[in-house]
Amino acid sequence: MIEVKNITKTFDGATAVDHVSFTVQEGESFVLLGRSGCGKTTLLKMINRLIEPSSGEIRINGKLTQEGSPEVLRRSIGYVFQNTGLFPHYTIAENIAIVPRLLGWEKEKIRQRTISLMEKLHLPSTYLSSYPHQLSGGQQQRIGLARALAADPPILLMDEPFGALDPITRTSLQKDFKELDELKSKTIILVTHDVQEAFELADRICLMDKGKIVQAGKPEELLFHPADEYVKGFFDDQRFQLEVRMIGPDDYPALVKAFNHFKTRQS
Amino acid sequence: MEQAQSLWQFMRQESAKLLQQTFEHIGLTFISLLIAILIGLPLGIYITRHKKAAGSVLGLAGVLQTIPSIALLGFMIPLLGIGPLPAITALFLYALLPIIRNTYTGINGVDPLVKEAAVAMGMTRWQLLFRVELVLAFPVIMAGIRTATVINVGVGTLAAYIAAGGLGEFIFGGIALNNTNMILAGAIPAALLAILLDFLLSLVQKMGRRKRQATLWAMPIVLLVFSSFYVLPLGYSSRLLAGFTPEFMGRSDGDIGLRAVYGLKIRTVVISDAVMYKAAYEKKLDVISGYSTDGRLKTYDLLTLDDDRRIFPPYYAAPVIRKEVLERYKDLGPVLNKLAGRINDSVMTELNYKVEHLGQPPEKCARDFLVQQGLYRDPAPAAEGTIRLGSKIFPEQYILLHMYAMLIRGYMGLQVETKTGLGGTKICFTALLNNKIDMYPEYTGTALLAILQSPKEDVQRLGGHRDSVYQYVKRSFDEKYQLTWLDPIGFNNAYALMMRRSQAQQLGIHSISDLTTYLKKNKR
Ligand SMILES: Nc1ncnc2c1ncn2[C@@H]1O[C@H](COP(=O)(O)OP(=O)(O)OP(=O)(O)O)[C@@H](O)[C@H]1O
Ligand SMILES: [Mg+2]
Repeated sequence: MIEVKNITKTFDGATAVDHVSFTVQEGESFVLLGRSGCGKTTLLKMINRLIEPSSGEIRINGKLTQEGSPEVLRRSIGYVFQNTGLFPHYTIAENIAIVPRLLGWEKEKIRQRTISLMEKLHLPSTYLSSYPHQLSGGQQQRIGLARALAADPPILLMDEPFGALDPITRTSLQKDFKELDELKSKTIILVTHDVQEAFELADRICLMDKGKIVQAGKPEELLFHPADEYVKGFFDDQRFQLEVRMIGPDDYPALVKAFNHFKTRQS
Repeated sequence: MEQAQSLWQFMRQESAKLLQQTFEHIGLTFISLLIAILIGLPLGIYITRHKKAAGSVLGLAGVLQTIPSIALLGFMIPLLGIGPLPAITALFLYALLPIIRNTYTGINGVDPLVKEAAVAMGMTRWQLLFRVELVLAFPVIMAGIRTATVINVGVGTLAAYIAAGGLGEFIFGGIALNNTNMILAGAIPAALLAILLDFLLSLVQKMGRRKRQATLWAMPIVLLVFSSFYVLPLGYSSRLLAGFTPEFMGRSDGDIGLRAVYGLKIRTVVISDAVMYKAAYEKKLDVISGYSTDGRLKTYDLLTLDDDRRIFPPYYAAPVIRKEVLERYKDLGPVLNKLAGRINDSVMTELNYKVEHLGQPPEKCARDFLVQQGLYRDPAPAAEGTIRLGSKIFPEQYILLHMYAMLIRGYMGLQVETKTGLGGTKICFTALLNNKIDMYPEYTGTALLAILQSPKEDVQRLGGHRDSVYQYVKRSFDEKYQLTWLDPIGFNNAYALMMRRSQAQQLGIHSISDLTTYLKKNKR
């Protein structure tokens, strides 16, 4: 369980994250959604102390993250970057093995873990001795995910993990991501500015604007019971597709209602 | 072709010295490189963490780089004396900038995303440094080390100036003795060394990163091994320490003669004459090979040891003039000879002292002397004709030249053209022979050994007697070149061994024989 309490971050007087509080339950997928510059990355990085908060506190399983060494904390939290952040001087196998090695795992255990991750992420094991630049962007992103998962951390932080990919690659990676058994039990905080992606992957969505939380809740709550005009407006562009996705193909009357609603708004 | 062959012969003949100098050179290069890496690398890393310090650290190292190497060595002497310590320090200072700068730019050039990822994975600062930053910055850092190495091999030749050995001993000895083979025997190995080391390091630089890690560990060991090549260039151990110029070391009327005739066994280092006198004064050296009329003798209160077995041929100075000029102007000979016998060793030393140490213009110094001697006259009414005077580049010759110019103008009213700074003996003499100048002051010893290159038997027969050498030289010049030696001016600017006056008196040493005896009695 991750508890964020009243967390604030200012950079030279400019507030990037402004008194934010939320709780993420164990095994939950929590999506931080918002426009560019609203403070999502800053918020995410404060959880594994890549950025130290100006004020407020964060607890993981009741324990304050500020106490204890940041390195130990980070080794227990997987982190996926938008631009992979793979080590260019490490092979794929070595990249995946970074955290297990820091944790002092045995060689054989690391090898087996690496091979099984490669399988799960649908990557041929021939790549293990390649270097990152020899792989495609989509493949590199899969390795980035494998690296974050390598030591089987209970928490996964992901900063626009599919953001840099073309739509087809993105869809296929999202699909594999959803189907990954490993992820079912993990507490995930994922940052995105893509509404469809948020609805696809989130148990709960947290919509942010100018460093503040505007509304946090289940996707349908944000869609059907927006807290204010900003939330309502945020989804308007894609409301029809989102509602269809929410309702599902079986509830015919509701679908008709949504469609009519959509039509009146269009005219 | 003949040149190439005799170079090879020279190198074969001097192979032991060559090998020693090469080893010293490699040793000097690597010791200073090792220290520069030990200090420069951490400093470079430090300023990537403390960017505020970066400007001043890089600026300071940059300033050090711009100090001319000879000057830097000069600054070192009062602080660190002579020998390996100041040489290594100077080389180290030169190597510092490329290493600090490339470490700094190399680490700063590492993709910040990769660094952030490393931190996000839970790497500590040290793990980030050793597993990511240093490995990725490796090619850039190696480029800096390469630059530093090549600089060190080059500047390392100057170590010979301050008694630290290396290939510079041959190079500067060769320049002083006008011995091309000797110059090349030092310069070619030095150049090859630079090229070879640069090439080897370029291989290391391009190395794949798997080998890099191994290299990082192997480097210090290799550096240490090469550093140990440096063994102090000391022949004998003795109470006193001698510093001889590269030229003196290579001459039969120098170090070789001292050993053969006197049996002098003294711990010897090779050093430039630019710093030698000062080093003696500062008690870094006890015995030096100087010139007996050098002004610094007075500046530093040094005593010339009596050459009681006459191994140093006399270097009496006298004007050498073209015969036809002498015949055309009948009065010229007597006028120039007005100076003959007027300037003895101590007077010449005094005059040199005024110019070298007190900074008087040679012209004023010359005039004051003539006035004091009652020889000075204002220019006579202009007469037809021009006399062209030449001189080598050092103060004593400038002073003499101005005296002669004043005499010619004052007594004869002729025009005088002065060509000062005609380099060394070779240039002056060639100019005279080819009718580019009419006259310049020369020394009997130089004429005997360097110009006439007289056979050994002749030199021995003359036995270093002032008059016999003068007569021999005068006769030979007249026969061979139609050049006339006028009367000697009086002083003898010969090689001499010198000691601090106080020390010499305290040890009761007056002559070179005394010195030899003292050293034999007081073996260490
Ligand atoms: N290191 C920093 N120094 C100064 N300002 C910063 C720093 N990092 C972020 N900011 C500012 O804080 C605000 C929030 O940035 P942040 O990167 O968290 O936004 P974001 O929501 O992740 O945006 P995007 O979707 O474009 O990634 C921005 O205005 C940004 O300029
Ligand atoms: Mg962001």
